[in-house]
Amino acid sequence: MNKNYARFICGLFCGCLGLSAVANAMTPDKTFSEIENRNLAQRPTLTADDFKLDWPMECSGDFFTGKFMSDYETYVTDQFAGRDLWVAGKAYAERILGKQENNGVYFCDGSTLITRFDAPNEERLNKNIGYVSQFAEKASVPVYFGLIPTQATVWADKLPNGAPNYDQKQIIDQAAQATSAQFVDLYTPLMAHRDEEIFYRTDHHWTSLGAYYGYEGLAGALGYSPVPLADYEKTTVSTEFYGTVFSSSGVRWVEPDQIDTYVPETPEITVTSYTYDAKGNPVEEPRQLYDESYLEKKDKYSMFLGGQQSLGVVRTGNTDKPRLLLIRDSYSDSLVPFLTPHFSEIHLIDLRYYKMSAAQYIEDNGIDMALVLYSVPNFVSDSNLVWIGR
Amino acid sequence: MVFSSVFFVFEYLAVVLLAYYITPLKWRNLVLLILNLIFYGWGEPVYILIMFLSIAIDYTHGLLVDRYKKRGEDGKARRTVAFSVIFNLALLFFFKYWDFIAGSLAAVGLTFMPKLGLSLPIGISFYTFQTMSYTIDVYRGDAKAQRNIINFGTFVTLFPQLIAGPIIKYKDLGDQIDHRDHTAVRFASGVEVFMVGLAKKVLLANGLGPLWEAFRDMPVEQLTTAGAWLGIVAYSLHLYFDFSGYSDMAVGLGRMLGFEFLRNFNYPYISRSLTEFWRRWHISLGSWFREYLYIPLGGNRVKGLRFFFNLMVVWAATGIWHGASWNFLLWGLYYGLLLAAEKFFLGRWLEKRPVWFQHVYALFFILIGWVLFAVEDFSHLGPYLAALFGRAGGGVWNENFLYYLRSYFLILIIGWVAALPLAKNVWNGLRERTKQILLPLLLAAGFLLCTCYLVDATYNPFLYFRF
Repeated sequence: MNKNYARFICGLFCGCLGLSAVANAMTPDKTFSEIENRNLAQRPTLTADDFKLDWPMECSGDFFTGKFMSDYETYVTDQFAGRDLWVAGKAYAERILGKQENNGVYFCDGSTLITRFDAPNEERLNKNIGYVSQFAEKASVPVYFGLIPTQATVWADKLPNGAPNYDQKQIIDQAAQATSAQFVDLYTPLMAHRDEEIFYRTDHHWTSLGAYYGYEGLAGALGYSPVPLADYEKTTVSTEFYGTVFSSSGVRWVEPDQIDTYVPETPEITVTSYTYDAKGNPVEEPRQLYDESYLEKKDKYSMFLGGQQSLGVVRTGNTDKPRLLLIRDSYSDSLVPFLTPHFSEIHLIDLRYYKMSAAQYIEDNGIDMALVLYSVPNFVSDSNLVWIGR
Repeated sequence: MVFSSVFFVFEYLAVVLLAYYITPLKWRNLVLLILNLIFYGWGEPVYILIMFLSIAIDYTHGLLVDRYKKRGEDGKARRTVAFSVIFNLALLFFFKYWDFIAGSLAAVGLTFMPKLGLSLPIGISFYTFQTMSYTIDVYRGDAKAQRNIINFGTFVTLFPQLIAGPIIKYKDLGDQIDHRDHTAVRFASGVEVFMVGLAKKVLLANGLGPLWEAFRDMPVEQLTTAGAWLGIVAYSLHLYFDFSGYSDMAVGLGRMLGFEFLRNFNYPYISRSLTEFWRRWHISLGSWFREYLYIPLGGNRVKGLRFFFNLMVVWAATGIWHGASWNFLLWGLYYGLLLAAEKFFLGRWLEKRPVWFQHVYALFFILIGWVLFAVEDFSHLGPYLAALFGRAGGGVWNENFLYYLRSYFLILIIGWVAALPLAKNVWNGLRERTKQILLPLLLAAGFLLCTCYLVDATYNPFLYFRF
């Protein structure tokens, strides 16, 4: 290597480092990544407290435990200029290498992305089944319990051949056998319609169509006769939906999903979300069955009932019908519209945020029946079910 | 701090190069010492105290050894060396092996040693060995005692090889600490080697790791024979690229700062015997043990049982150096026995066999060795070995094995080629002009691709941290 050529190589390398330093300095920090649908790490700050030295070491301040440094490294990586492009570059590289999986998501037939599902933690699963049983025994009204199988099982035939996959049917059977609540089988109705678009291809939720078959499956237990699908008119509200699985996969080459609704929103139906303001005072926040403002955002599925809430009540105007308490994850958000003709009130509790006694809630609100409804992946991993046992 | 992170490459390294090169020559070691300490303290600042203690103890002992030798007081000089060695070993023992021994004793009912639960200071296995070499080298007259404490501190804490080697003996580095040239040619070759190392670690090692983990974590009843072999082949390549990639990065960073380190790996998987393998794998560790343990014990001068005993001591030490766990000791003794066999009779027999047979022989025992090395849980070790030899719960092969083979086929091929000297030979055979055009393109492509993977992985632990 001659001297001038060596200088050129040095210049190239140092130039790259310098250029990225300038690019990083000039790019303003983002608080939220639309495409990853999560808050990005922010520049950590050091205060006097962080320099506290204590024994054992874990009790020291962030500087001495090293938390500050690891936070800072995460921050640098999260705020790296052009982050989304780099992540997409990695996904493309993986595809060229012949990988059929990236970041725990399988690339499947027909522009479909499916989150990998592995064997659950048995201890957590058994505990969660136990909490539901405790609730069923404690509650003064009938408690129904359903588990929604997801793409990894219902669409298992779309997965790459031989891809590791744990069968959710085993978990559903285990829960059905062990629970003292009245178990509702949602596996059979969903499997019967597996060839239809019952799940999003880029999101982990079921589509409104999938939710309809879930609604049919619940009919026998909850005691209503379902409205035929043909009575509803399908409305496509978005054709530009890229969901959560799209985000976590890092891939950029799949087609967007479309979001449909069936049940029309009527003025009789009101949705109220009960929450607390910054000072801790209870607040009532009006919501809608379909909040179309979310269609302008990345997180379009939140149009159903306006997304996360601790406690929500849907009042349907059908005052002669029973009151349902639904202890649920986000799959229920697109199910609720179908339930509105059959109940006077549907109370929705999300155990991630609602930490009071559900049995007491039943007493206080004149609930007639309760349904615990989770998707299998959420049910096996949730650490908040302990709250319904109370 | 690991080299294969966005923070290291784009912030720390940029600051190091800037600060180092704007500093006048005579202050550079001081700047480097400060940068080294920041590197080491990043994550566990309190352990910088160990660095200060190490520097202070070894610095003063080096000077004392030097003084006693000049006065002709050999006994005192020896005692001083012994004290320094004991100090370093005690440091290593306390942080790395205390809990292991306490746990092992507790398992047989002896509970006089409480478990401490201290986190292992990163790189302690590497730098204690480096500082030990210093006083010994001074005593043996292989190196001059270092009088400047800044320079000595720079040697002890030198960040490129501080946490994962290569383990550099003081006699190989002492002169460079005092005086080294900073030329563009050396810097550019440093960039080249660093980039190769980064690509090995980020693209190959991290790419192959999940393949091994899939088979390691597979319940025994699902494991197939083909899968078990695929898993251990993946691990062999993963470990090689992980470690040699890290060593390459160290060599490259060293060159950027004007240092020249010895290479640590020399295509180990082309070996035709296990003796040859250990001349090609983690060369700096092997040569350290040879020089400071094997030869002092008698080396080749002793015969028969004594020779065998010495060999086992050296290999037990090599094994347990890799980690405080029984499987590492087992792995060390496994090599001790095989190498003894090669020395006594197997080597001569092997030489008369065809070359392909020698390769198969060496690779077979290397792979089995990696099973002992990689499977720490003894209850899983037996079933995994059984699966390799046909007694697998999942049969010979299944769809799942094919899925993994398909998914990783290309990277396995790339890894296999990269583990051979093939690419290097092709490169060396190219015309100078072609190389000049290709080099910047390859560097840029490698850098871009590595950045994709580094940004994607928000956290990226380095395998050799435990050692």
